[in-house]
Parts: sequence; structure tokens; C-alpha cells
Amino acid sequence: MAMTPRKTRNREMLFDSVIALVFILVACVDLCDGATVVDVYRLIQYDMSGVPFGSRLASLNHHAASLHFSPHADLSRTVLLIPLRELNMSFVQEYIAASKPLGGLILLLPQMFSVENKGGVGSNHDDGSKELLKNVLDEVEQILIHTNLPYPVYFAFEDENIDTVLLDIKKNDATGQPATATTGGYKFVVSATEPKKVGSPPITNIQGWLAGLKTDGDSHQLPTIAIVASYDTFGAAPALSVGSDSNGSGIVALLEVARLFSLLYSNPKTRGQYNLLFGLTSGGPYNYNGTRKWLQSFDQRLRESIDYAICLDSIGSWENELWIHVSKPPENAFIKQIMEDFSSVAEELGFQVNLKHKKINISNPRVAWEHEQFSRLRVTAATLSELSTPPELLERTGGLVDGRQFVNEAAIVRSVKLIAESLAKHIYGHQGKNVQIFADNSNLAVNPSYVRSWLDVLSRTPRVAPFLSKDDPFVTALKKELEDHTDEVNLQREVLDGMFTFYDSTTAKLNIYQVASVTFDLLLLLVLGSYLIVLFSFLVITTRGLDDLISLFRRPPSRKVKTA
Amino acid sequence: MTVFHFFNCAILTFGPHAVYYSATPLSEYDTLGTSVKAAVVYLATALVKLICLATFLKVSESDSFDPYQEFLKALIGFIDVAGLYFALTQLTHRNISQNHKFQAVGLGWAFADSVLHRLAPLWVGARGLEFTWDYILQGLEANANLVLSISLAALGSLMWLRKNKPKTLIPIIYLCAVIVATMPSTTSYLRRGLGWHLPKVVGFELFTSLVMAFISWQLFAACQRPSL
Repeated sequence: MAMTPRKTRNREMLFDSVIALVFILVACVDLCDGATVVDVYRLIQYDMSGVPFGSRLASLNHHAASLHFSPHADLSRTVLLIPLRELNMSFVQEYIAASKPLGGLILLLPQMFSVENKGGVGSNHDDGSKELLKNVLDEVEQILIHTNLPYPVYFAFEDENIDTVLLDIKKNDATGQPATATTGGYKFVVSATEPKKVGSPPITNIQGWLAGLKTDGDSHQLPTIAIVASYDTFGAAPALSVGSDSNGSGIVALLEVARLFSLLYSNPKTRGQYNLLFGLTSGGPYNYNGTRKWLQSFDQRLRESIDYAICLDSIGSWENELWIHVSKPPENAFIKQIMEDFSSVAEELGFQVNLKHKKINISNPRVAWEHEQFSRLRVTAATLSELSTPPELLERTGGLVDGRQFVNEAAIVRSVKLIAESLAKHIYGHQGKNVQIFADNSNLAVNPSYVRSWLDVLSRTPRVAPFLSKDDPFVTALKKELEDHTDEVNLQREVLDGMFTFYDSTTAKLNIYQVASVTFDLLLLLVLGSYLIVLFSFLVITTRGLDDLISLFRRPPSRKVKTA
Repeated sequence: MTVFHFFNCAILTFGPHAVYYSATPLSEYDTLGTSVKAAVVYLATALVKLICLATFLKVSESDSFDPYQEFLKALIGFIDVAGLYFALTQLTHRNISQNHKFQAVGLGWAFADSVLHRLAPLWVGARGLEFTWDYILQGLEANANLVLSISLAALGSLMWLRKNKPKTLIPIIYLCAVIVATMPSTTSYLRRGLGWHLPKVVGFELFTSLVMAFISWQLFAACQRPSL
């Protein structure tokens, strides 16, 4: 029949056009994998004496762009995704320090800064670039902590998912179109509640008491030596502030010294005639607030019985010399004694210990070293540290760069030997004699695996004080460990003083969606509309004939003609 | 703009049914009742199929192609054919010609199938923020299904309602009916056994549906001629 070939041709044309349409649509937008979810860690938000610092917002719902955005684009509704390797200081100065408006900022850190990454004895040829990245991150961290940023700032770690997303974003940005609602792209969503103030930030001081040998009378008449270390940290990302060197190394050294002396003191024949007081204090980054409260809780007799206190601060990454910082003048008898003990032991062990004197200014609220809190209450004290100059407020407090791989456990072992032997010299009166009590291969040797396992645990536990609750399992673990090595352990629970206010919401999940633009939806609507119209016309033509189709559009005029 | 996307996918999935009804003479003869009855029969058939599937099939952990299971599924799929038979022959239709009867039944069948299988995923999924091609492909699949249902209804009406058929064409009619009835098993085999991705499978469905529609239309036209 004559109709058949025409219908066949119509069918084939329709079929071809459908296939072509599908190809065009597929070519427009890449096939995507689906939503990705990434763990992100928020920049700290705090007020210092009422002045706001850090990232003030937590929830995020904007389109994403990379560093290749066009120069005059408006970024106030865009999230910037920047890997640390591509961050340069000019950008930081321009955008962050100058507080230009931004929808949000996500910094991608290399895997080596990750908490799970043990790091270790890896590739040596990468050390140069590692150092560089470490310095950049340190600088950026300091800038971020001291700036008020009215948009959410998050840290994330590089992994395959987010790397592919970043590559895609860079490709899109290279075409010169910023991602907005009309052009499609990626949308980053973090749904978080508004950050609330942490009501009364708790600080918990843990003290362990190892009683000395009392011949007659009570043990409080014996002199006491205190060994103190602060255990909390502060950093740009509180969920990542593990502080392996500041002050994980100090904590580990204190625990190992406690273990060694508990072995010595367990036998009455070797128990010294000194009490030992071990203190793990909190509130270190905030001018050693916790130490002050701890000291104020002592009664007068105890305070007067303390011969001297040794504070440990960052002893994990030194090579050849350590510093002893004091605030009393070096001519003081106790200070002289301490120096003599320590330097003679250091000489035997093959390194050097230097003395540094820094006067305290009582009117200045800044407390640079922990021993200064002791000195303000007239107790002789010194701080043993690898740093030669005191850090500024909120600097070197165990932030993002202070990871496990930058700490050397051999240095900690040497420090423990130094402290233990020097204390033993003082306690047992072996001044001037060359005796090694904690010799290697004896049963009193320093145990490197104990050091290593505690260091590993500490390098996985973020310890920012306001976010450690009263019954935090880590504090309980420290208490239990001290209980093993001492006679009596007490916890002192206090509240951080009013100068600092913290806000919660430290971790979140970032959802990455690939969205189609509005133009795509409109285009699809157009295509579908025309498809349905074509289908309609086709069906009318095949079943009722072409005249019917035409008559659909011509009916009203024909009626008019009839009436006329 | 994702309600927009939902709207787009909805008109792709359900639009052709409405267009088919209004464009062909079905609307003139008011065959809506027939379509509704066919939809109800489809629902009943789907229930029966579900019960049979639950009773006879084992739940397999892996997503591989198990020939025995697929054969059972194909057998259960013939319940579909039985349902269509019931709808075509047993229901009372108003005085409409055979030509329109099979179209109305096929349309109702396909519409019920689309609503049952595709409306819920569409409502839940297409309104999300993330964009996927899945729902557009699903809509195209619904279109293919419409064409296939109408061809199956045509072949069915040829088999059961037409008394005088040319002898030579009878085996071809039955063969085509079997092919169309086993389409679900074929697509499942392609997806699981050969590992084809969704766009390829949908393209295949569209292609075969048009081919089968053409063939069944030719057969129908051939049977319309006075007997050879």
C-alpha cells in the first residue's frame, strides 16, 4: 500500500531522532557517581576577653570553586576548596587576613598530617617538601587562630573521592564559568547546628603521690620533689590537636619516670627519703591556668615542703641540647644544685644542658613557662624543654603540625634517663659520684616500648581541654596509669577562668552533590514538550489522518464561516 | 530546582499514556472504562505474581544470573499473559471495535505498570539534590513498556479474539507473543548475566519495543485483510 512506506519512514525518523537526542543529552553532562561524604574538622571558634576569633559559622550550603577562580568573581556565596600544597601566602594575606567575603573555606591537608598516619621512617627524599609543607601549615594555622572569620572554615584530608571532585572543579573553573545555580557544578553541604558556647569548660588536674621512707614522724615532714607536665592542647582544629611533642612527650616522660621510681620505692631498702609528687595539669595553653589552681589548692605545709619542681615541656624532638629555664636567679642554692645534677648526668650521657634565666613580671598576665606559676607562689621550680625561647600565647600548643612523625622516641628515652638519674642523684645523695642507677639492660632500664605505646596513644587522642568532659575516658586512663605507679591519686576538677570562651561543633560530615543547572532542566522540559507534541501529532496522523490534525487547529474559524 | 526535575521525569514517564489516549480515536469512543478495568486486572495479576515469587524463589545474596531462578521468574511472568487474556476476553466491554479494544487494554495495562513500578522511586529519588540520569532512563523505559504492552495486547487479541486467521501467520503470531512476553527475563539477563549498564539496556528495550510493535502491527494489518 502507498501508506506503508511512508509510515515506515516516519517510524525510522522518529527512532533516529530519539537516539540522537539521547546522545546529545549524555554529552552535555558527565555521568556522575552519586553523593560523596567526607569527614571534615572545623576551625576552632573562641572568644578571648570578649574578642571573637576563629570561624564563626558551622553550617554550609554553597557551590564549590577552586583556586583557579576568575579574578573578579564574587565569592561570597562560594566555598573554596584549596589543597595545602597550592596555598600561597599572598592568597592567605589577601583573603583571610584582609577578611574578604567568602562563602566558606575548606583546606585539604596531605595524608601525612592525618591522625591515623603513623608516619615514621618514611621516604627521606621527601623530607624537604615535608618541611616546607609543615612550615606553611604552621604559618597558616597561626593566622587562622588569630583572625575573626565570619564564614565556616573546615579541614579535610586528601583521599581519592575528594581528589576527583577537586579535579572536576578545577576543570570547570578553567572554562571560566563560576559555579552558580544556573551553570551546575558541585554543591557542598554541611548540615550542622549553630555552635553553642561550652558552658563551663572543665579542667581536671591529676596528681599522684609517692611517699618516701619515713624513719619516725609522719611523711609530711619529708621534703618533696614535684614533677609536673601539662597534658592538654590547643590548635586550629580541636578534633585534630593531638600534640605529640607539645606536650605528649612530657606526659610520656612523666609516666615513665613514675614507673621507674615506683619500682625503686616498692622496696623499703631502696626507698628514698623524699616524697615524689607527680602532677598532670590541664589548662596549659591558657597561661597554665590549671597549674595555678592546683598550686592554690595545696595546703601551706605541703607547699613549704617542696624542695623543687621540674616541669616538662616538649622534650620529644631535640638532637644535642636541652634547656633548663628558671625564674629565680642562678645563684640560688637550689637552682645551683639542680643544674649540677642535670649537667653532670647529661655529660655522662653525651649531650648538653643549658641554663636560661627569665625574670617574671608579676603584673603581666602572660605566663610563658609552667615553672613561673610555681615561682609566683614562692616554690623553686624549673622547666626542662628543647625550646630555647618561650612560645607566644597559643603558639606551639600541640596544633595541626604536631604529629607523631615529627617526634623522636629516642629523644624522649634520653630525656627520661636524664631526669631519672638527676633526681636519683639528689634523692640518694650520690653527688659527685659516677653511679648509674637506671642502666641499660638492668631491670630499672628505661623501657622504650612503654614510651612508644603511650606516645602512639597520645598521638591519636585530641586533648583540647574545653572538649574533654568530666568523665572523659582518656583522663580516666591517665588516672589509672598513675594509680599503678603511685600510692595515692587525686583528681581536682576546676573550671577554666573567664578570659577564654569556647564554642562547640568540632567535627562534621561534608556532603558533596553534583547538581545540574537550571538551564539543563529547562532544556529537558523543552525537549520533553516537543517529544510529546511530536508523539501526539504522529498518533493523530496515523490513526485519524492528516486532515484531522489540521482540523484541530481550524475548527473555530469554520464555525464563524457557517454562522455568517 | 529538583521538584522541577521530578516534574520533568514525571511527564516523561506518564505523559505518553495521556497523549496516546487523547491522540488516537480512543478518546472519541470513550474507552476510559476499559482502560481502568485493565489497570485493575493488572493490579490483581501483580499481587498473584508477588505471592508466587515469594513462595517459589530463593533469596540470592549475589547479583549474578542464576538460570534456574530466571527460568522460574519467566514462568511466573506468564501469569502476566494469563491476566491479559482475562482482561481481553472475560471482561465485558461496551460496544467497541476490536481495533480499539486491544489498544485500550494495552494502555491501561502499561499505565498501571508505570504507576506501580516507577512512581514511588520517582517521588522519593528525583526530588533530591544530587543529579543522576537514572530517572530519565526510567522514563524512557516506561515509554518502551507502553509500546510493548500495546503490541502484546495486539498479539493477544489476534490469538484469542480473531477467529479466522491465515494459517501461515499463526506460528509467527505465537512466536512474537512469546518473545514479547519474555522481555522482562531478557532484560534481566542482559543486566545481570552480561553486565550491561542501564543506558544500554534501556536503548535495547526501546529498539526491540519499536521492532516488535512494527511486526505486530504488520501482522494485525495482515489479519485484517479478508482471508487469503
